[in-house]
Amino acid sequence: MDELTFRRTLYADPRTRQTDVLNAIQDDTHKRRFWEELQAFENEIEAALDIDVPDNLSQKLLLKQSIKIETEARAKQPWYWAMAATIALAAVLSFALITPTTSSLTFDAITHVAHASTEVSKYGPLDMQTVNAKLANYNGTMSDDLGEILSANFCYLDHIKSLHLIIKGETGLLSLFVLPEEGTAPVENSFSNHEYNGLSFLLESTRVIVVGEDESELQSFSQRAREYLSFSA
Amino acid sequence: MTRNIPDTDAVLSDMKTKQLKYEALVKAYHADVFRYAVWLIKDRAIAEDVVQETFLRAWKSLDSLQDDAAAKAWLITILRRENARRFERKAFDLVDIDDVSIADQKQEQGTVAERRDLRVAIEKLSEEYREPLVLQVMMGFSGDEIAQQLGLNKNTVMTRLFRARSQLKDLMTTGVSTEVKASG
Repeated sequence: MDELTFRRTLYADPRTRQTDVLNAIQDDTHKRRFWEELQAFENEIEAALDIDVPDNLSQKLLLKQSIKIETEARAKQPWYWAMAATIALAAVLSFALITPTTSSLTFDAITHVAHASTEVSKYGPLDMQTVNAKLANYNGTMSDDLGEILSANFCYLDHIKSLHLIIKGETGLLSLFVLPEEGTAPVENSFSNHEYNGLSFLLESTRVIVVGEDESELQSFSQRAREYLSFSA
Repeated sequence: MTRNIPDTDAVLSDMKTKQLKYEALVKAYHADVFRYAVWLIKDRAIAEDVVQETFLRAWKSLDSLQDDAAAKAWLITILRRENARRFERKAFDLVDIDDVSIADQKQEQGTVAERRDLRVAIEKLSEEYREPLVLQVMMGFSGDEIAQQLGLNKNTVMTRLFRARSQLKDLMTTGVSTEVKASG
């Protein structure tokens, strides 16, 4: 290996393990000295490049992540939208309370919230019997299938216990909440934000709220819900 | 309250796996990513912000990271993109960060003057020489990895690395007050 190539190669990468370079420093004391000098210089460069890292940076990164996820979940106002994601939180909390776990509960919970809609799509469908058993708490029955029901869980909307159904729609997930009208704060008949649309109506003394992304799909879903769901007073 | 334990269990397990992966990523690479950010951005506070954004972005697309060997390069790619976004956002609100010296911000606890001089010399290198050098020495990237990060071919990268060290040698010999200009 000629001197120039040797020097260029080492200057470009002093830590190279290239065989011809390693052979050259074995065979030639002059080259070996050059190599040793360059190693020392490289050590100095490494030291000079070093930057103090704040001791708590990794904790800050993890904290920032948890806060961001929580904030994003909360940003979906008003409460009935937030609940569409938060339903999972209640389930996780209750599960975690009875199950000893070594990892951070809150981390799991809020992480879960942010991803509830994607996670839930892995499950289901539930059969009508299961759904009707839960609807019975509201004296309600479902006469025909509303669609592929992925989950049916109880959750609290503004302190009111409600049943939250998540249904697989054509364009995305649809949510249907069932809650008693009595004691429930007034709800507009239709509402929307940049992401979701919602409709609300009364069936006897039961409030039904449907939330989804596509407005026209939500209209037809709402119509089916009016037909297939019935509640006795 | 009615629960669906098997579903919850499965979801919890998935989320735990992702969370563990993320925590491992943070622990393994936050220091390197921060150090690189300080050299790239030349301001510790801004660097920390950009690192925060980088890891948040990494969390959101964590599923796309399949190869742990590529994790560091993946994070650096995100960091460089986040840093570029910062310039888009703050196009009208920029301090001249070239005037901010990293050497001044480094705590000088027993650091020899020589190291400080070398630090100043590295800062004086033009960006096209400093960037590949930092990626190689600090991040341990290969010539190919640096080429990929900087959108250059490998020969160009190796030439720049050669010139970066040549200039540093010269600077350390002649004194760091000499201004260094890019020469190709």
